[in-house]
Amino acid sequence: MPIAIDVYKKIITAKLYIDDNFNEPIDLDRLSREACLSRFHFHRLFTRIYRLTPHQYLTRKRIEQARKCLAGNELSITEICNEVGFESIGSFSTLFKKEIGHAPTHYRVQAHERRQQTLEQPRSFIPHCFIENCTGEPPESNNRETRSGALP
Amino acid sequence: MITKVSHFTLFVLDQDKAYDFYVNKLGFKVNTDAKMENGFRWLTITPPDQPGLEIALLNPLSGMMKYDEETTNAFRVLLEKGALGAGVLHTPDCRATYEELKGKGVSFKGEPKEQFYGTEVILSDDLGNWFSMTQPK
Repeated sequence: MPIAIDVYKKIITAKLYIDDNFNEPIDLDRLSREACLSRFHFHRLFTRIYRLTPHQYLTRKRIEQARKCLAGNELSITEICNEVGFESIGSFSTLFKKEIGHAPTHYRVQAHERRQQTLEQPRSFIPHCFIENCTGEPPESNNRETRSGALP
Repeated sequence: MITKVSHFTLFVLDQDKAYDFYVNKLGFKVNTDAKMENGFRWLTITPPDQPGLEIALLNPLSGMMKYDEETTNAFRVLLEKGALGAGVLHTPDCRATYEELKGKGVSFKGEPKEQFYGTEVILSDDLGNWFSMTQPK
């Protein structure tokens, strides 16, 4: 059965509420109030539209922000955990590892190494054919290093 | 035997604006943002659920590309006309995404329509390219 346009707008309002407030405690009551729908109706429609439950979507937003913080600032893991809205470092670490594939500490080390390499050896990220065909420069440089997942 | 696509180029009029459009509005992730010594900027993004696909956002008018004047002007004409059809973007719900992106100022041609393959609407990045945004059946 098609969803009416005003109902779409209610669900989008709640989704944007998560986007803007994911670092705060958010529960189903709060979201269904934002959407002006019953808890059951809201949960069912949100899940139908986004193919994720509201809780799954909220967790993804928090993990994504944690990923950016780990790569971009020097806050401790505990501080980042709190900053993005997780209440327990244990659940944060577990969910982060499940979603990203590495523990937060390991991800941070990798991200910092990659950022440093981006600054010092930008060519190591660019496929040779792009350097040659886009800039006309020879692709090889003497200090070229190959990152993991090497490019051609 | 070719098995998958890992990189492709999307030419855009402005890399900073493209970053804002694809990352901040559409929700793509930045894979690499690196600048070579000569100023050439390698900016690649990935769709949220497709981390193995890097889309290189390149500006052929930046002066960093090796194209001659005639080629550069041809790119300028095509991009300024918004004539380049870049591909199909998938969404779990076309109408919801249309409403949300419209609220963020994204340009659409018409409203979502039912097609035999799903629900579709055409969107523009306002940087030279149009896409079909489709909710497959």
